[in-house]
Amino acid sequence: MTLLNCLLLSFILFGIGVFGLLRRRHIVAMLISIELMLNAANMNFISFAYFSKGDASAGAIFSLFVIAITACEMAIALAIVIAMYRRTHSLDIDSLRGLHE
Amino acid sequence: MIYPFLPDLLLLALAFLVLFLSLITSKNSSLPRWAASSGLIVIFTLLNLIPINHQIPFLFSTWKIDAFGLFIREFLIFAAFLGISLSKNYFNSNHKTSKSMLQHPEFIALILFATLGGFVVVSASDLLTLFLGLELATIPLYALSAWNKKDILGSEAATKFILMGSVATAFELFGFSYLYGFSGSIFFTDIIAQSLSHTNSPLLWIAVLFLFAGIGFKLTLFPFHTWAPDVYEGSPTPVTAVLSVTSKGVAIAFMAILIYGPLKQVHLQIMPIIALLAGTTLVVGNLGALKQHRLRRFMAYSSIAQAGYLLLALLGPASLAKPAIVYYLLVYTAANFTVFFIISVVERTRSASFNSLRGLSAENPFLAISLAIALFSLAGIPPLAGFLGKFQLFLNVAHAKYYGFLVFAVLNNVIALYYYIQVLKSAWVDPQDSKSPKLQILKTEKAWIALLSVFTLVAGLLPIINDNIFKILQSF
Repeated sequence: MTLLNCLLLSFILFGIGVFGLLRRRHIVAMLISIELMLNAANMNFISFAYFSKGDASAGAIFSLFVIAITACEMAIALAIVIAMYRRTHSLDIDSLRGLHE
Repeated sequence: MIYPFLPDLLLLALAFLVLFLSLITSKNSSLPRWAASSGLIVIFTLLNLIPINHQIPFLFSTWKIDAFGLFIREFLIFAAFLGISLSKNYFNSNHKTSKSMLQHPEFIALILFATLGGFVVVSASDLLTLFLGLELATIPLYALSAWNKKDILGSEAATKFILMGSVATAFELFGFSYLYGFSGSIFFTDIIAQSLSHTNSPLLWIAVLFLFAGIGFKLTLFPFHTWAPDVYEGSPTPVTAVLSVTSKGVAIAFMAILIYGPLKQVHLQIMPIIALLAGTTLVVGNLGALKQHRLRRFMAYSSIAQAGYLLLALLGPASLAKPAIVYYLLVYTAANFTVFFIISVVERTRSASFNSLRGLSAENPFLAISLAIALFSLAGIPPLAGFLGKFQLFLNVAHAKYYGFLVFAVLNNVIALYYYIQVLKSAWVDPQDSKSPKLQILKTEKAWIALLSVFTLVAGLLPIINDNIFKILQSF
């Protein structure tokens, strides 16, 4: 296992996240794709910390903070999605056409 | 000598105090609002008493307080104070209209938390603090934009906002991870030392691109600006006002800290990227605003263009760019809040479109004059404050010797003038629609609009009479 392997893996994960975000039309699936992108960044931090000659603790701690922040963000996102579902009874992103030019 | 850490702690305590007061007072009590407003005034006074001539590190040197940080803090307090005053009339449980909302204390507390996030961003001296600050400044805004649960457009806007915002966070975080991998440390000083010897490292440049993409979303730069018009139109008006000022201010402060901090050594190489982003943002914002006929959507495109102007400052050296950013943010806040106060008056009885402004000069000359002052200031007409603000921003472009680009930016300003005058044409030239309901203006709104208009006039004239302000600002 080398640093490059880890970086490639997380880059591919990030790519899958971006693809899922563009491809999926279901809001919860899109949130899962975003989660994938955030965790790809987390893996980057961990692998840089593992292979780093310098300050290894910083990367590990950074990823812990990111997990907490992501949890907050997703909690608010799901609350907003529930509020929207109560109004529209649909979780399809294409139904969001109320605001346009 | 005042302990310089005190204002930050007080703001954190104030947000919790407001939440606590909402528990022990009755539902319609105005005590939490008064506590928040007076607390903000106290914090503003304390900020002014802190000496600005040195950097003070705190908390294992992850937290520093310098002159730029102090001025941005003052701007953020100013914006939060105005946002809270503007939101007051939207929380009236007596009229059960679709626009009135509930739980004002929590709303105020979230604005205070977002302001605290801005405080954290400007005091960061490592990547972790910077990231946490930016998230603290953004996450409350997601909740704020969905505040009106009765409004179907509000929840649509919030959904779009949080989806785009989370993607931006992911990009930013990916950029941070490469920056950490590049230097092996999260401290700015180590990143600067590393970038001195490895300017062409691919890790550094991937990090820069990802970071620009991430922050581009928050600053509404082209091509990441598409969420802004929808979110600005769908959110409640006070949230739109806070969003267009606080979130933009935090984002540009974040960029300034990044570019004059860890990326200091590669500033010269980043300049073309900044110029490209700023130029395209100017064009897209200005052309987008041309065809709008709804006020809030128009303000969204106007603020996209303003973000392009703010970005111009980052082409110059730190000593010139930071004062320009601070001054322009203050001027922009005053003008933008004047317009949003007027929008809140107009949309109380009418829809928020250009047609509702018809015949404003005959019906309410006071509103028409303040609208003219605010929009001319945004367009940058002398002697209003916007002119000097834009002059300072353009000075940075000239300093970087991008003369062709400077001409391009100034020409863009002419387009901007055209669409600002379109709004004024509705207010001053078009005849009144006899069927439209009368405007109701409250005394407090009148006072705020008058104060902000006077501020715009004075801030434009004062530096001509006495240029001390810029000397103080330039001394950092």
